[in-house]
This record gives sequence, C-alpha cells and structure tokens, in this order.
Amino acid sequence: MKTITIDPITRLEGHGKISIFLDAQGDVANAYLQIPELRGFERFSQGRRAEDMPQITSRICGVCPVAHHFAATKALDDAFNVDPPSAAKKLRELMYCGYIIYDHILHFYYLGGPDFVVGPNAPPAQRNILGVIEKAGLEIGKEVIKHRAYGQKITGILGGKATHPVCGLPGGVSKGLNKDEVKDIETMTKSCVEFAKFSLKLFDDIVLKNKDYLDIILSDPYTLKTYNMGLVDKDNKVNFYEGMIRVTDQKGKEHIKFDVKDYYKIVAEHVEEWSYIKFTYLKDIGWKGFKDGKDSGIYRVGPLGRLNAAEGMATLLADKEYKRFYETLGGKAVNSTLAFHWARLIELLYATERATELIKDPEITSTKIRNPVGEPGEGFGVVEAARGTLIHHYKLDKNGLIDKANLIVATTNNAGAINMSIRDAAKGIIKKGKVNDGLLNMVEMAFRAYDPCFACATHTLPGGMPLEVNIYDKNKKLYKSVKRNI
Amino acid sequence: MKTIVLGVGNPILRDDGVGVHVVKQLKQHINDPNVTIDEALTGGMNLLDMIWGYDKAILIDAIKIKHAQPGEVKRFLLSDFSSIHSYNPHDVTLLEALRLAEKLGEDKIPHEIVVIGVVLEEMPLEFGEHLSPMVAAAVPKAVEMALSELGKNLNKSRWNKDKLT
Repeated sequence: MKTITIDPITRLEGHGKISIFLDAQGDVANAYLQIPELRGFERFSQGRRAEDMPQITSRICGVCPVAHHFAATKALDDAFNVDPPSAAKKLRELMYCGYIIYDHILHFYYLGGPDFVVGPNAPPAQRNILGVIEKAGLEIGKEVIKHRAYGQKITGILGGKATHPVCGLPGGVSKGLNKDEVKDIETMTKSCVEFAKFSLKLFDDIVLKNKDYLDIILSDPYTLKTYNMGLVDKDNKVNFYEGMIRVTDQKGKEHIKFDVKDYYKIVAEHVEEWSYIKFTYLKDIGWKGFKDGKDSGIYRVGPLGRLNAAEGMATLLADKEYKRFYETLGGKAVNSTLAFHWARLIELLYATERATELIKDPEITSTKIRNPVGEPGEGFGVVEAARGTLIHHYKLDKNGLIDKANLIVATTNNAGAINMSIRDAAKGIIKKGKVNDGLLNMVEMAFRAYDPCFACATHTLPGGMPLEVNIYDKNKKLYKSVKRNI
Repeated sequence: MKTIVLGVGNPILRDDGVGVHVVKQLKQHINDPNVTIDEALTGGMNLLDMIWGYDKAILIDAIKIKHAQPGEVKRFLLSDFSSIHSYNPHDVTLLEALRLAEKLGEDKIPHEIVVIGVVLEEMPLEFGEHLSPMVAAAVPKAVEMALSELGKNLNKSRWNKDKLT
C-alpha cells in the first residue's frame, strides 16, 4: 500500500496531518486527518476559582477566545444560579456579533475564499488574500482590513480587550456602554452591513455565476448527508448566543431539540485508535462508522450546520439570503460541504444586522448590567462559536472552586464529518495514484470549508511543530526540509 | 525610534508560553517610553495590529527547529523566513499579513522585525503554567538577547545582570 501524506497542509498547520492510503491500483482506500488534542484541561482547572474560567478558557485558543469566554460566562450564570439582566445579555450578544464579524471575514477573505476567488486549481502561493486582491482589486483589500478591524474594535470596546475579553462575569458583564461608544459602534455596524452585502454579491459574481465552481460545490465528493446541529431561538431562527440546540435530519426535518443540560443524554463520543479527537454522534441513531445518511449518528455544526438546523435568520436581509440559499442549492437540507462558505457569509450579514439592532436598542446603555449570584453548583454554557456549537460544563464545590470542567469544542462536533469529507474528496479526485498540487488542494478544500480549529493552539510565529517543517532559510538548504512550499 | 517587544505564546500551554515568561522578566529591566512590552496570545492578523505604528518589533517566541538543542536561543530576522506557517488553522501568517499591508501601501509597518526564538524539545500538548527546566534555563538568555537587541548593553548599563536569573 502506498501512502501519500499531505503535511503540512496549506493554512492548516501545526498538528493537523492528513494521510491518504491508496490501494494497489493507486486509488484511495482511506483518508485520515490526525490531530493530537491538547490534554489535561480538567486537571488544570481543578481547584481554580470559578470566576477565573472566562479568562482562563479564553486562553485555550487564540482563535475563539470570545466564544470560550462566553461559553464559560454562561456556564457560570448557570452554576451560580443567576439570570443576567436583559441589558447584560444584549451587551454580550452585541460583543459576540463583533466576534462573528471579524472571524467570518477572516475566514472568507483570507482562508476559505481564496480557493474560489483565485480558483481551486491555482498554485498554492496564489491562493491567499494577496491572490484575492489581485483578482478583486486593491480597494477591496482595504475594505476587508477595515471591516475585520471594525469587528475587533466592537469586541474590544465591549470586552475591554479585543483578543482576550475580560467583561464576562457570572450574572452579567463588568462594563456597559456610554453614548460615545454607542455612536462609534453604530457607525461601524452600519458599514459592516454594507460590507456583508458586498461580500455576498462578490460570492454571487465570482462563485455562483461560474458554472464550474457551482458544479464543484454540488458534486458528489463534496456532498455529505449528515444530521445538522445548531442553536436556535424560539422561532427556530439561527442564534449565536442563546437558545435551544436543534438537530435536523438530512431533509431538514427536526430530529430533536434540547436544552444544553441534556447534551450528554443526546450526544455520545466514539474513540478511534488513530485519533486523539473523540468523534461525537447522536446517541439515539448510534455510531455506524464514518458513514452519512439517516442511519448514521454523525452530524455537522458550523455555518452550514446552523442554517440547516434552523428555519431562517432573525434579520430581514439575512433571511432573504437564507431563502435564496435553499432555492439555489435545491432545498433543504443543503448537504454540500462547500456551501459552508456561502452560509458563512449569510451569517456575516446576520451578525451585522443583529449588531445594528442591538446598538440601537435603548437598553444598551443601561447601567443595570449585573445581578447578584446565588450558591455555587453545576452549570452548562452553550454558544455558537464561529465554527460550531461550543459547550462548557463545570461542577463547582461549595467554595466556588472548580471541581470538574469539561469542554466540548466545535471541531469535536464536526470531527466525524471532516474525516468523511476528506476521504470522499480524495476518492473523487485521486485516481490511479495520480496526484498533483491542484488535486491535493481539492482535498484541503474539503476540510477548510469547516474552518476547523484543531488543537486550540495559539500563535503564528515560529513556534511549535510548524517551524520544524515549515520554515526554511533562503540561504541555508538545511531549512528546506519543508514538505510543501507555499 | 519606537520599539515593541512581544512575548508570543500561550501562558497556559507550558513551554509554548516561554515568550510570555521572557517579557515578564524583561519588563523589570526596561523603563523607556520608546519601548513597549506586551504579551501576545494571538496570530498573524492580530500580531500585525499590535506591531502597527512601531519602527521596530521584537517577537519572542517558542521555536522548534532541526539541528538545535532545546534551550538554545536563536535570533532571526523575519525576512529570513521565506515561509512561516500559521500555527493555528484559522489565521494567516504574520508574513502574509505584512505582505498584504505592504501591498495596500501601508507605511506604518516596522522597518525591522526580529524574532528571538527559544528552542523547544517538544511542542507541549498538555495544559500547565510551568516551563520545563531546559526552557526555563533559557529565559535569562532570551532576556539578555532582547536587551542587547534593544541596544542596551548589559555590561555597561544600569541593568543589573544579577537580576537575570
């Protein structure tokens, strides 16, 4: 058996490594994404003050600090038996919108989008933001930077710090908004709405009007008929910050809707010896291996999972786009993995519209932003991280110290589906051992769509394993041990 | 000339956080309005935001390279790297971020970006706040290198070398 290893993966560096196993004919027998998971969080947390968890958990990951911050804060609300005042909830949600805005912009323009905007067969060196600007124009580059920064600024104003917020407290938030800040944020959210509309138009022009791309999106290797999961509000509309967790089937029909407290009753974890990541699945359907379909308990989360798990968007323009999404892609559920990108932009529009609503809400300047906490106990917190459902679960002792902590992160929820998508893309694309860089990219596209966030590691600069394989010095051949140049 | 020194890394991921340990010590030796010292638990785009507007940036980080012993401290220019991969999947590299800024005609990018790397044995996979002995022993070396990078020659200066332990 011949093994092709893609390592490192362009834009999915560090711990992720894909191994594709070929059979004697040179066709794909199997494909795995191997991810060592960070360990020891429970032990690390034990005995710490519960109110430190929003800060500690925001340091787990350099990618989703805001999501961890609020999953933790909400778990503490629950553990201390306190319901935050309505203004505090609105402030949290507004800040959350800022995070979704910058996170989704980053993914579309810098990470996932280049595959489409520049083209799936373009050399890896061009499939990046610079390539996007080459194609779409310098002005667009400036707009991208500006609006990503707006998302960060909104988060920073509300959170105290843009990257690692310090505002979430059990029972509320530590900081409200003054009139000047409201004005600043309002200007930014308005501009963000326009930018989100523009981004959807760009997607229309460059992707949807290109038959080749549309064919790829709808092709078999990029189709996975799994269940879908996401938070919804009382009207079953997508909600990032609160609601019930809804699961729908391959046709978009509700399978189950539950409170996060019941998570362990609904979802179980499967272990594979080659992966540190546990694969979650719906308990009532069961684990049937890496298979899709009604009889397999695997489900997807993230932008596509959320849209499929809901019945619409709670804001006007995003809801219109939601309807167009299903009309264009053949009704519910959309099972095309690459439709994640479009779904992400619809969510971007929703987040900008929702932020605009919230900042106009008279209550947003209220000073009643915290309620007193009760006795410590057990708590669950759920939010929709940009890349999917994120759950924190804590047990506190009588002194308010952490006794047990468990986190279920988005990429764990998506792990089964990501592996299948990689396998299917490889099967459809690599035949008789014929592999070139463009083909490998098609495999990468399969998982990049999920915007996965693996070991929840943190930084970019020389650090950790990627340097070992990725850096090379122009002058020293020694460093050219890179396995793949980008 | 305005300089920023950033300790890059995750303070709760053992040796990965060595950059943060280094800048914490460095802070005790520097009191200069033209030098900013900060921690950065973040990647490419945010790093660019942080070094924006400075003339020089010194980034101190954990590093894993071949043909180097754990605990060694190495100095690079960012321009030495023709390719740096983002550690985390949801970010661009600092190089990519910088190239973008240059392309857009931004002139607030530092003229010089120096990387001081502390060589790790293994990338930590378990949470913890403490450094391994070899990496901990490298912290004073990295502090010293950062100080000399800042043009503060320890032997002649008011900084007491004894403090660097």
